[in-house]
Amino acid sequence: METTIRIIIQGRVQGVGFRPFVYRKARALGIRGSVTNTGEGVLILATGPPNILDEFYTAVTRYPPPVAQVVRHSREEIAPEHPEGFSIVPTAAEGGLNLQLTPDFALCESCATELKEVGNHRKGYPFISCVACGPRWALTETFPFEREHTSMSAFTQCPACLAEYGDPEDRRFHSQTNSCPQCGIACWLADPKGNKIAQDAGSAFRELAIKLAEGSIIALKNTSGYLLCCDARQGPVVSRLRNRKQRPSKPFAVLYPSMEQLREDLEVSPAEAEALHSPERPIVLLSSAGYRGEASLEAIAPGLNQLGVMLPYTGVLAMLATAFPHPLVATSGNLHGSPICFSEAEAMEKLSGVADFFFGHNLAILHPQDDSVVRMSASPPGRIVLRRSRGMAPNYSKPVDSRPGAASMALGAHLKSSVACIPNDFLYVSQYLGNLDNFEVYQRFTQTVDSFVELFGQRPKTLLVDGHPSYLSHRYGRELSGKWEVTVREIQHHKAHFAAVLAEHGLFVQREPVLGVIWDGTGYGEDGQVWGGEFFRYQEGVIARTGQLDYFDWLAGDKMAREPRLSLLSLLGPGAEAPGSKFSEGERQLYAKLLHSNTLKTSSMGRVFDAVSSLLGYCDLNTFEGEAAMRLETACRDFSLEGASPFVHLNAEGNIPAKLLVQEVARAKKSGRPGGWIAGNFIFTLANLILEKAERESVRKVACSGGVFQNALLLDMLHRISPRHLEWYFHREFSPNDENVSFGQLMFHLNCT
Amino acid sequence: MDSQTPMSSSIQLAHGSGGLMTRELLDQIIFSTFKNPFLEQKHDGAIVPLKGPVVISTDSFVVSPIFFAGGNIGDLAINGTVNDVAMCGGVPEFISLGFIIEEGLDTSDFVKIVQTIKAAAEEAGVLIVTGDTKVVESGKGDKIFINTTGIGSPHPRAHISMDRIRPGDQLLVSGPIAAHGMAILSQREGLQFESEIRSDTTCLNHLVSDLLDEFGDQVHLLRDPTRGGISSVCSEIAQDSALGVLLRETALPLDPQVAAACEMLGLDPLYVANEGIFCAIVDAEAAPKILERMKSHPKGGRAALIGEIRSEYPGKVVMESAVGGSRIVTPLIGEQLPRIC
Ligand SMILES: [Fe+3]
Ligand SMILES: [Mg+2]
Ligand SMILES: [Zn+2]
Ligand SMILES: [Zn+2]
Repeated sequence: METTIRIIIQGRVQGVGFRPFVYRKARALGIRGSVTNTGEGVLILATGPPNILDEFYTAVTRYPPPVAQVVRHSREEIAPEHPEGFSIVPTAAEGGLNLQLTPDFALCESCATELKEVGNHRKGYPFISCVACGPRWALTETFPFEREHTSMSAFTQCPACLAEYGDPEDRRFHSQTNSCPQCGIACWLADPKGNKIAQDAGSAFRELAIKLAEGSIIALKNTSGYLLCCDARQGPVVSRLRNRKQRPSKPFAVLYPSMEQLREDLEVSPAEAEALHSPERPIVLLSSAGYRGEASLEAIAPGLNQLGVMLPYTGVLAMLATAFPHPLVATSGNLHGSPICFSEAEAMEKLSGVADFFFGHNLAILHPQDDSVVRMSASPPGRIVLRRSRGMAPNYSKPVDSRPGAASMALGAHLKSSVACIPNDFLYVSQYLGNLDNFEVYQRFTQTVDSFVELFGQRPKTLLVDGHPSYLSHRYGRELSGKWEVTVREIQHHKAHFAAVLAEHGLFVQREPVLGVIWDGTGYGEDGQVWGGEFFRYQEGVIARTGQLDYFDWLAGDKMAREPRLSLLSLLGPGAEAPGSKFSEGERQLYAKLLHSNTLKTSSMGRVFDAVSSLLGYCDLNTFEGEAAMRLETACRDFSLEGASPFVHLNAEGNIPAKLLVQEVARAKKSGRPGGWIAGNFIFTLANLILEKAERESVRKVACSGGVFQNALLLDMLHRISPRHLEWYFHREFSPNDENVSFGQLMFHLNCT
Repeated sequence: MDSQTPMSSSIQLAHGSGGLMTRELLDQIIFSTFKNPFLEQKHDGAIVPLKGPVVISTDSFVVSPIFFAGGNIGDLAINGTVNDVAMCGGVPEFISLGFIIEEGLDTSDFVKIVQTIKAAAEEAGVLIVTGDTKVVESGKGDKIFINTTGIGSPHPRAHISMDRIRPGDQLLVSGPIAAHGMAILSQREGLQFESEIRSDTTCLNHLVSDLLDEFGDQVHLLRDPTRGGISSVCSEIAQDSALGVLLRETALPLDPQVAAACEMLGLDPLYVANEGIFCAIVDAEAAPKILERMKSHPKGGRAALIGEIRSEYPGKVVMESAVGGSRIVTPLIGEQLPRIC
């Protein structure tokens, strides 16, 4: 006796070889029917004996292909059908889409092997891919993920490729990005005038290796955007790249040719190795203590004890690593604050003053993405995302209950902009877009909004924006709401941060109160002041502010965030010795007067980090965002908890006495304590303040968000001093910084009143 | 003005009573200063000769402090209104002058202000033809407020209007920016910079008339970037014309000490008020000549071409920054709140 069942599988099931996998399973079990991609996910019609169908259902939902992620699945019995054999049916075009998008996947082991395999017809073909690897989101025009919906549609498969595409036994069965040197993507090497000096992959990479060794800077078109590369061993070349990019001291990432070579130069923990090898293949920050390699760390990450490292994640980079088997500086191909370049024309225009040579190809990139950046915290063991982009965007892997907020779009913050939306049963968060002050970033931001609207064929009914009236995302939301006649809801910056971390850990659906510790640089507060050191309490849909860093004066607009010495002056007063020495007499008088008449207050924890970093002599002026805090963290690497003793405690109101804290730090410095110890004890004090707050509030669950929690040492410290009964929640999927604000805005909208 | 009783050393409430003391104040300070046939009519108002359409503009001046480097509330009140008339393409001729004085203002200060007004009116070539003086109780005002209304006739060659702006039009500014706002701020806060920052307050009507005489309808729009500075003027232009405005940061004329003061205070000079410069949107072809003409005039010696009108980003102001890349310039909303982390 045979029956027919209808199976729907949702999640990351397109562009991952899911249909071929189902096909093979069905054939193996003798099941007849069909599999197709629909707007709802993968649809399977399967006919066979009931017990075999059960086995089939379990196999396809529980043990999917490596890069697939099944989020939801269902089956129902339907009227028996009598198909012959099992077939893959072309995608049925229909209404709305209820799918996850597919991120870019790193080159898989099999393809990496073929790339070097003598006799393989894809040997040396930089755009090799299969159902388990290759670019996806970067090429996506519309959905579902079919070749004709991507920029691969410009290339027609040759008979050999087509044969693979049609062969159920082949790794490239229904691989939408399938191509080979005969039918695929062409590449070349050109000078800044566009004259091609190499016309094929083989000679291009040979030339590249020579140019790199000679100290040239290369703009390299990868499959998700341009990278700027140079020999990491040549300090003067790295400095030249810095000058041309107008990036004085922000650290660069290094592309290592292989894990083996990396391990020769640096310690890599198992967790870090796993992250380096993951399908997202991000930049991973490693401790550079005891570096044994040849890369010029002083030029690459001046004054820091960390190094951002990545491994080749595309055929292009794998070829580069083969041709030039040495560490390479590899940084986003852009200028000072502008978005990453992705078209030939743009790169030639913008990077001609930066790069000496251009590696190009004729595959169009539709969704340019920077490399994602992560670091691993030792305890609790886990990942801290610093930039969520290639490999991670645009999905959120967990299911959300979207009913109350369907058709909402969140426009995020300003400095680390991202866009999030819930157009269907899934939630999508764009890649990191950058600082909206930059006009090109702003344009990419508005294009991202447009592309979500187009992709899902619907405009949002509600727009969510930050409360800051001068954030360009806020202003754009207001503009759009007028144009589309939809409502706008303002969501307080730090409440959005809190909602983001609550959502990541499913804490909205339980009844216990949660302490929110939201520490960052700045956000617009509900009282019009500049918030950034907040304690919240969440319970049953309500977020209430239950404490803060005591207000101190915010001085001189955006300048205060650029000059840590100003935070010090505000916190210690202009008369104090320490800030005094960092200003001219004229400046000091001026700021003293400003302080006197100032009305704008802040509770920013970021500024307290700045003040302490300045006080201890690590950083008076930031040359890149977060520099003062980074240098502070660098200074306290050897801090030991023995002998640690908090500088301050919570005051009677349950707030953090900001000024007293910095005064105590100054006193410790005066008494001759070493800077590294003071810096460590400062972080320890902050960790201890969180414990005190948790105790006062009688909560067990503590959730942390905001840029301050990019500090691995703080996480580590919290974990080490935490009493057993406390449960800690940190971001794992999103960055703790403002990149999570768009996601948090949606989550606040769905779950909070 | 025969039997002169000496004025008291400060203005009293009774000076606004309408009685004898009011008369005294007017005769001894105001009429004697602004002598002209229209005032001598001694009407409640003035009868002035005008033909055809009239350009009219009014403004109230409440600046604090009332004296500052480079000027005081008096010349500000004349120049501000004269310039507003000029920005409409008008040739200002007559001014009305209303004072609201807080009791207790030093008479000598008041005299100084009145004399400054006289000098400013003479320079602008306008006549003060009518006025009013009120005194309010101490605490109900802030030393002195002045309202002026300017009346004039349209320049015969002027054709100034928002809908004349075209993509490609060039944006000129007649002089260095941000001086007035920084002068006021440093005076008010008692801030000291290495060299004194002086307000740029001045009348611009003669320069505007010269330009209109020579270039007529090639001048498409004039605006004086007072409150809210260059950014607000450009944002208004962008929004009202539904075209984009491109600014070039490196082209903006800015005195080094003003730039340094802005830097120290964390202020963006684009948002700082001006009182003695104007922006002109002009035909692209005529722009170099217009710029040259401006530069040859004493009020436009440091004029510069600072940007142009673009069609690519309607409603937006975009500035090509000195460090590379470009950024969006938003209109000022309240105070300059920090946005960066
Ligand atoms: Fe934030
Ligand atoms: Mg005015
Ligand atoms: Zn592969
Ligand atoms: Zn082929």
